[in-house]
Amino acid sequence: METKILDELKKSELLSLIAEGKRKDGRKFDEYRKITVEKGVIQNAEGSALAKIGKTQVLCGVKFGVSIPYPDSPKEGTMMVMAELLPSASHLFEPGPPGEESIELARVVDRGIRSAEIMDFSSFFIEEGKVLSVFIDLYVLDHDGDLIDASALASMAALLDAKMPLIEEGAIVRGKSAGPLPLKEKVVTCTFAKVGDHFLLDTTLDEEAGVEGRFSIATTPTHVCGIQKGGSGAFSKKNILELVDLSFKKGEELRALL
Amino acid sequence: MVNIVVPGELVSEKPIQMPYAFVENGKTYAAVISLLDDRGGLIPLQGPYDPAPEDLVVGVISDIKSSGYSVDIHSPTPAFLSSKDTRDRFNVGDTVMAPVKSVDEIKHVTLGGGRALGGGHLIFVPAVKIPRVIGKKNSMVDMIEKAAGCKICVGRNGYIWLGKGGNVTLAMKVIEKIIREAHVPGLTDRIDKMLKVI
Amino acid sequence: MEKPTLVVEGKRLDGRAFDQLRPIKMKAHVINAADGSAYVEWGDNKVLVGVYGPKECLPRHMANPYKAIVKCRYSMAPFSVLEERIRTGPSRRSTELSMVIRQVFEHTMFLEAYPETEIDIFIDILQAGGGTRCAGITAASIALADAGIPMRDLICAVSAGKIDGQIAVDLSKDEDNYGEADVPVAIAPRNKDILLFQMDGLLTRDEIEHMLDLAYSASSVINRMQVDALKEAYSGERTEAVLPL
Repeated sequence: METKILDELKKSELLSLIAEGKRKDGRKFDEYRKITVEKGVIQNAEGSALAKIGKTQVLCGVKFGVSIPYPDSPKEGTMMVMAELLPSASHLFEPGPPGEESIELARVVDRGIRSAEIMDFSSFFIEEGKVLSVFIDLYVLDHDGDLIDASALASMAALLDAKMPLIEEGAIVRGKSAGPLPLKEKVVTCTFAKVGDHFLLDTTLDEEAGVEGRFSIATTPTHVCGIQKGGSGAFSKKNILELVDLSFKKGEELRALL
Repeated sequence: MVNIVVPGELVSEKPIQMPYAFVENGKTYAAVISLLDDRGGLIPLQGPYDPAPEDLVVGVISDIKSSGYSVDIHSPTPAFLSSKDTRDRFNVGDTVMAPVKSVDEIKHVTLGGGRALGGGHLIFVPAVKIPRVIGKKNSMVDMIEKAAGCKICVGRNGYIWLGKGGNVTLAMKVIEKIIREAHVPGLTDRIDKMLKVI
Repeated sequence: MEKPTLVVEGKRLDGRAFDQLRPIKMKAHVINAADGSAYVEWGDNKVLVGVYGPKECLPRHMANPYKAIVKCRYSMAPFSVLEERIRTGPSRRSTELSMVIRQVFEHTMFLEAYPETEIDIFIDILQAGGGTRCAGITAASIALADAGIPMRDLICAVSAGKIDGQIAVDLSKDEDNYGEADVPVAIAPRNKDILLFQMDGLLTRDEIEHMLDLAYSASSVINRMQVDALKEAYSGERTEAVLPL
């Protein structure tokens, strides 16, 4: 299957539809597909969630561990976000170590959560040389576009589902919890793709073959807490400010699902 | 009566050489998930396109060689179209409709002749559902063409080309419905109803 | 840590009889993007399998002109275990399992039907609870059938073992960890061929025979579920794939 040639065909199809103000599935340019979020799907994890946007399915698991703190913040816990694009999820994904797409996905989701400071890392201090670490692992199970928004939803929901581990004598007692993980905000992310002068929210995989760049904006109810311009393509100042306004608006819809 | 058989399931107590089945110890078993029809034949419900000479396929030119063209027909290897077998000159990315001339022992397909299909929409559906999209004596595809007002070329390999002009969205909706309900009895009537409502 | 007693008053810790399987659920067609897919819940195990192919074999020099080659990856999610998070990437264990599982399906599929292609099987353990390779093989059969790849049979797998001196089928995680022997077996239900057989522990010849008998009985039950899962997915409309996590 010659993917690149088929991509060109998908691109011309997308452009002709957009010119008529339409999308292949009949959605408006700023409309999300059907979204469902289920929490607590992996009981062995300390927190978990499965987020579906249309046919895209992303699983997130949260695990806690005990680690050595970073030297410049000896009394603070740490957080790490990793993403795996499962080879089952798309003919585009190959097994192997994380490539640039999976690394970008993890880092973009990470920044949104980290900048909003939704977790109190100082409360993760255990004792001298030991802090709690939060591991957020994203597993993309089924790829039909908009992986960033689905991953951001899955990770936020998994954190909301997460239970603090019970710590005894400087070690985690597995299988027991010490209450829910305290969180200050719910962070959500909206990704817009550029097609000519138009922006499409929540693109399907077929649509993504024809777009020129994307803009992802993570928000809390009051602030922007993460931005990633992705792909080749250029955005104007006007574009960006319009998308920020739209992100706050659409963000509320997403937040209501968490 | 819908009778689904799965790989390894008994199809006949006698040894019968037939597609999608195999013989073991004098009995015949299904190899692929299929419908067992009333005549004891198997209609596969899933699986890749199995090319046969004279099949009409739809493909996309993927490479230009000195002697001809590579054509993507959504198979593991591209098909080959010799320049000698076609009067048209194609470019990479052109959509074509062509008959299968021959299939060799490693399932490489050679096409015999082909005509360009021009701009339009290309969709892919599982090859096993294509017979339902075509219908008996083209009845189904004719019905969709008439209702949607656009030309439709259905390739046995699963690629379907929809011409410009006309209601392409409607054509795609109908085809999607056929794919979803291909083996639920009464499909023709349901499609008929769907098109009458428009 | 003290070894727990695995058999109390003639019953197993989870109340099962020695020839009883844990609760199992199976579903075909759970990943939209894949050519075939399946999901199995088996005890605490949650296993997802995606299949692609037959497709172009890459790199080309690996292609076989006589038949399809099979690639199989068994992998555990970092959050799949109750204990510490598992580091991502292949381990020695997952490499060995990927290989022995691949060999099960190399035997079962009609590979000669698709020369110069590859067929990919991706087994992902989303949650682990003892017997992941058996759940993985069982799910992979369903996924391959869901992809329409021709096969001789629907292979299933189950473990048998010895716990506190008793022969039992379908070991749970604790039974596997603290028992005296663990024997995962993959079986072709129609002719009872054994396509995977591993064992660690100490057993007599008669104990092995007893275990095989238990495994054979269990395999009919498991195979019935595979058949039902496939028939259910193919009766009626082909709906969008949804993971029933």
